[in-house]
Amino acid sequence: MSEPISRRDFLKLASAGAATTAVLTGCGPASRYVTREPYTKMPEYTYNGQSTFYATTCRECSAGCGLVVRTMQGRAIKVEGNKNNPVNLGKTCARGQVTLQGLYNPDRIQNPGKHTRGANSWSSGQGSGFQEITWIDAINEVSNALSTNEPDEIAFLLGMAPDHLFDLVSELTTAIGAPAPIRFGALGMFEARKTLMQAASRMFGTRGLPSFDIGEAGVVFSFGANFLETWFSPVAQTREFAKFRQRNPAGRGHLVQFEARMSQTGSKADEWIAIRPGSEAQVVLAIGRLVAESRGLPLPPAFANADVEAAAAAADVPSGTLVHLAGVFAQAARALAIPGGAALAQSTGLEAAEAVLALNALVGNLGKAGGVFMAPLAPIADAYHAPASGREMMEFIGKLNSGKIKALFIHGTNPVFELPRALGFMEALAQVPQVISFSSFPDETALQADYVFPDHHGLESWGYQQVATGANAAVLSGSQPVVAPFYNTQSTADVLLAAAHLPRGRAGGQLSQALSYSDELAYIQSKLGSLLADGSGFFSAPEIDTFTAYFQQHGGWWTMDDRRVAPPTADVLNRTFEAAPAALDGDGEFHFVPFVSPILAEAGANKPWLQEVPDPTTTVMWNTWIEINPETAERLGIQDQDVVRVVSPMGSAEATVYKYPAIRPDTIAMPFGQGHTVYGQFAEKRGANPTDLLGTRLNAAGDLTFGSMKIRIEKTGRTRELARLEGALGVYGFDAK
Amino acid sequence: MAIAARPMLPAKAHAQEHEDPREHLMHDPRPRGEMNAMVLESMHTAGWRFYAAAGVLTLLVLTCFFYAWGYMIANGLGVAGVNRPVFWGIFLVNTVFWIGISHAGTFISAILRVMKVEGRRPFTRAAELMTTFGLVQAGASIFMHMGRVWLGYLLFPFPNERGLWPNFHSPLMWDFLAINTYLLCSTMYLFLPLIPDIAMVRDHATGWRKIPYRILSLGFRGTEGEWKNLQTAMNIFAFAIIPVMFSVHTIVSWDFAMAMRPGWSSSVFGPYFVIGALHSGMAAVAIVLFMIRSTMKHMKYFIRAEHFNLMGKLMLIVSMAWAYFYFNDYLVMWYGGDKWEKILQEFTEKGPLGYLWFAMLIFNIAVPWLILWNRKWRSTPWLLASVGLIINIGMWLERYIIIPVGLTINRMPFTWRLYVPAIEVFLTIGTISLFLLLYMLASRLIPIIPVWEVQEGQAAHMLRKVGKAEVSTVSEIE
Amino acid sequence: MSTELELPMFTNTSEEDLGGRWGMVIDQDICTGCQACVAACAMENNIPYVGEKDAAYGRSLHWIRIERFWQDAFPEVKMTPYQPMLCQQCHKAPCEPVCPVFASVHSASEDINLQVYNRCVGTRYCSNNCPYQARTFNWRDYTDTRRQPELTTLQNQLNPDVTVRRRGVMEKCTFCIQRIRHSEDAAKADNRPVEDGETLPACAQACPADAIVFGRIDDPESRVSQAARSARGYHQLEELGTLPRVTYLKGETDGHRG
Repeated sequence: MSEPISRRDFLKLASAGAATTAVLTGCGPASRYVTREPYTKMPEYTYNGQSTFYATTCRECSAGCGLVVRTMQGRAIKVEGNKNNPVNLGKTCARGQVTLQGLYNPDRIQNPGKHTRGANSWSSGQGSGFQEITWIDAINEVSNALSTNEPDEIAFLLGMAPDHLFDLVSELTTAIGAPAPIRFGALGMFEARKTLMQAASRMFGTRGLPSFDIGEAGVVFSFGANFLETWFSPVAQTREFAKFRQRNPAGRGHLVQFEARMSQTGSKADEWIAIRPGSEAQVVLAIGRLVAESRGLPLPPAFANADVEAAAAAADVPSGTLVHLAGVFAQAARALAIPGGAALAQSTGLEAAEAVLALNALVGNLGKAGGVFMAPLAPIADAYHAPASGREMMEFIGKLNSGKIKALFIHGTNPVFELPRALGFMEALAQVPQVISFSSFPDETALQADYVFPDHHGLESWGYQQVATGANAAVLSGSQPVVAPFYNTQSTADVLLAAAHLPRGRAGGQLSQALSYSDELAYIQSKLGSLLADGSGFFSAPEIDTFTAYFQQHGGWWTMDDRRVAPPTADVLNRTFEAAPAALDGDGEFHFVPFVSPILAEAGANKPWLQEVPDPTTTVMWNTWIEINPETAERLGIQDQDVVRVVSPMGSAEATVYKYPAIRPDTIAMPFGQGHTVYGQFAEKRGANPTDLLGTRLNAAGDLTFGSMKIRIEKTGRTRELARLEGALGVYGFDAK
Repeated sequence: MAIAARPMLPAKAHAQEHEDPREHLMHDPRPRGEMNAMVLESMHTAGWRFYAAAGVLTLLVLTCFFYAWGYMIANGLGVAGVNRPVFWGIFLVNTVFWIGISHAGTFISAILRVMKVEGRRPFTRAAELMTTFGLVQAGASIFMHMGRVWLGYLLFPFPNERGLWPNFHSPLMWDFLAINTYLLCSTMYLFLPLIPDIAMVRDHATGWRKIPYRILSLGFRGTEGEWKNLQTAMNIFAFAIIPVMFSVHTIVSWDFAMAMRPGWSSSVFGPYFVIGALHSGMAAVAIVLFMIRSTMKHMKYFIRAEHFNLMGKLMLIVSMAWAYFYFNDYLVMWYGGDKWEKILQEFTEKGPLGYLWFAMLIFNIAVPWLILWNRKWRSTPWLLASVGLIINIGMWLERYIIIPVGLTINRMPFTWRLYVPAIEVFLTIGTISLFLLLYMLASRLIPIIPVWEVQEGQAAHMLRKVGKAEVSTVSEIE
Repeated sequence: MSTELELPMFTNTSEEDLGGRWGMVIDQDICTGCQACVAACAMENNIPYVGEKDAAYGRSLHWIRIERFWQDAFPEVKMTPYQPMLCQQCHKAPCEPVCPVFASVHSASEDINLQVYNRCVGTRYCSNNCPYQARTFNWRDYTDTRRQPELTTLQNQLNPDVTVRRRGVMEKCTFCIQRIRHSEDAAKADNRPVEDGETLPACAQACPADAIVFGRIDDPESRVSQAARSARGYHQLEELGTLPRVTYLKGETDGHRG
């Protein structure tokens, strides 16, 4: 809870928290010193019984929501949102709330060490596969890896968030001539980000991410965009949705969701249109054509090839429905169409995304309230760098397989778990002689590392994160430690900088010169320097130390004005599209819809309270489930609690059935987020991973077509009870179990 | 028109009714010393079967009662089967069940005494013992269901520095007071008629055993004055304990009737539960009589077919009364049309536990009505005891349907869940074993038969010839 | 329609200042079911997790739960609006008269229902009598580090302002009374009234849709009072006469449905 900032509070909040890091004062030149005080004279911010609040950034996903963490006596107690951060305006999602259980997780890796690949042990002793080493040795290892290998033999694989570490590693790799770091995350894969970016680039000619002004729209057609769950910036989008619904000058907003399986977002829709997977592009084009007709506009080339009947047949939806929907869209004062991951995750995905942007252009909402914009470029970013697409990951894997990479550094991502097994990432790791992981948690990728040098938890870290979308302002969200590091971990940025400064071989000298920052804080401060002169921020300061203090106190820097850019509108409707059905893989009877669990997302499975938060649509806790239409289940002789196996040509997975009323009879859905083999006691050996079934097909933009697989079901004859918060008797009737 | 002549005299007409009046206990007196000796011998003789049974029961009590309860106290109620929304399960079922059983004792020793039903004489104490031991089990079950039983003393009004009383608005407090009152009164009422028999045992006891009997007999010598005082005291108690009996189970029923649950907040619960208590209690008495008669020496003299016949008639009448009250409750719910109560009824009858409801009706109504109308069957001890067992199971099911099945349905359908008993099964076995064990121990320590009462009755009963018929001098309620 | 019965109020009789009467409005049209409130409540109030087995058996300790139901069948199937259900802090709370030891009492100053943990003996009559099934019970020791050593580090996160409950004790939503008291204390120290929006329970603070509005319902101009006057407002199980402090705003349709 943020109170009016008094001068006294300012001093309280502008603090470091950690015993040996700098104490920055609000005035005077840079002062770094350690003071010795009697124990009875405690620093102001550690009065017993009083809480101290620190502003930082949530690291559970890459949205960049600002947090204010309440601490008491050096312990982080509660996460609250930062009211001033334009992304979340003081609100948080369930994952952000439970991030404290990551900080205090019993299974954190506590020390750096030399690790035997495949050994699930993370502390020395008992014949384990982990030998603890000192940080000096760790830094030496890193330095060796950077110096003894050729630059093109070094690779960095980072997490999705474009943070200071990404910037630092980019500088590092540029300095030594190594390939630029790759960022990857399952959410990026499930959002088909590259496709969306490329669609915007091809349609608007601008590079960046489109943003969709839901809050001001009157009618929203969401093509598989689960914007209330994990898509891009869910907290911001939920706020916008609330405005769309109940504080909308155009009257209560009308949401139509097009997806084969009703997601949580779909459950809030006024209409759910259960289109068959693979038909998304055709449906969008058909609607575009119908909207043009409904509005009496000349048919643009974009929708010329649209065939309404064919689209309706492909989608398994009456053509009258498409006509009705087009009418709704056409007559709305402010209509907005959003392309979501599921729609883009088909072979026609790029076309679908472009068709949606064309549809928006058709109703003239580009750059207008309730329409499509280009998201603001984050402060100090040179450009928007998207995370890696499926193609880029496959190329990277190919490079690993070729033996070209001798040293691979991995931080903030878990591709062994998140990437479909069919891509062969784990096998490719075996071809890399040295894998160094900076993971704080014992996840599947760290399991394959030779060294693990654990980074601090996000709440123990300095840094900043560039916000890609979610706010109208340009936002650079700041991080500072809210508690002293709980274990013997070190900031990865510090480790890299220390390694860079060791005098060593060829890279040593170059690196040391290029990365002349003494530590992570100095690096961050240097990057903030470019903002000093920018007067458009919500605070300004005469010099960098004060600026940095304000940056930490407020939790970041952002502009006061709307930095969204209207996309250029010329030529958008002159593109032509094929309107062909998508190519499908597998020979099974059912379409397979993997979806990201809105509660666990990528990395939440190791937090016990997240496991106990029920899934919004099924109320299942602690496990994976397989959603089948009840009629289909009856036809196949499958009951609730039955364990079934879903099989694709790529692999199989077993989980308990949930007879889900709102899914197509020819479709099976399965949440992503469980199925870890390691990752701590709360996550491991629990549930199943739907990416095991996915294939390697890519769409034209290079994203994986995770919606194109057709699977079959096998009964196993076993039963296993699902932990459901709902009473099945009350929700499904007395015959339910 | 040929009309068969019917004899006017009652002799033949009553032949079925009485057969040989000397078959009745009251008309078959033995010398006092002989009867005392029979009772003492039944107290002191125990075959190997007794010790085997006592051994098994002790083992069961140690494991299924003490150990299981200790385990539950140490680990919390999570080891039981209760959950949300079924916060009360078999523990409460057992509580109501045991209180129900305990009502039979009072009925037989108080109401039948007040109504001067002579047939009650040999088994008032057996019934009264059921009351006392049943209340012990009820108390144990109530304490078992408490989440923090080690703070159970908070229900007791005692002076404390916070000035806190327990909450007398709560039906559970009424329960607490009522059951304690009942336990106290019925123990007193057990004790009073026991005094002359304890005195008899004292007179025949030797060695150290004489001491406790001497203390308990309170110096009873059998003088006219002492008898007069005793009779007065027993009469007062007999009258006084009847309203206690009715009120206790009414109050227990208000645990449910005062709650805002569909199916529970029914005003008929008071008398419904009292009749239910009598129903299961009578049936339990039949079982107990059968067991005493089959296992203890000389009991075939004291407990005869006529007593089973009496119990059987009472059981039949009470089962009819119970059926009426059940129908009343059901009908009111049904035509009342409350949405949730209708769902509850549908769930009870047609839901996954519908077979329990069906079984309950068969056991409580169909079985007694089909069997107990027949005098010969009523008088057959093992048959009546079997019917008694079936009725008891049926009444236990009735409480199961009211409590766990009733709690499954509430006004928040999102919470509806089934109840799966866990450690309650063991603890139920434990309470039953403890009940039986206490009973067996009591049978060794005090005379099960109130010999003085039997003798008193026999002294008053004589056969007089009236015309050609032999008629008893004491009129009985048949 | 509720009858005005003169039931005893189970109020404490200490002479606290009569602070604000607190209430809540939950807008079901904008609640997205995201469970942020559930997680926030758990983190703020030291609610233990019970694990898969106990959660499957209905023993989870969620103080707030999001209910939803289904209507009709595919393809016309609809989900009913999400319904966050928590303790309604009834003015005439059915859980209060039935507790034999006065562990469930009414607060005179805040006008909410209080659960006194150290007095509770766990008879669970209160939860049977709660028509909203808002109360949960500690079926086991879920916070004992001897039984669960993995809790040792996790317990660093516990909020020192809230009791950690042991087995055998009932618990339920308290409208984050620790926060209410904290802001009342701060306001008293500054000699001013508590401002509208100064104190928020964890759920209202976290909700990304701002579907939970909380404040003083005895102030007709407060945000929550204004929201409660909405035409969409209703109370759950109003016919029982519990006079809850939580007003729900119905989920709507807008007539576009084809």
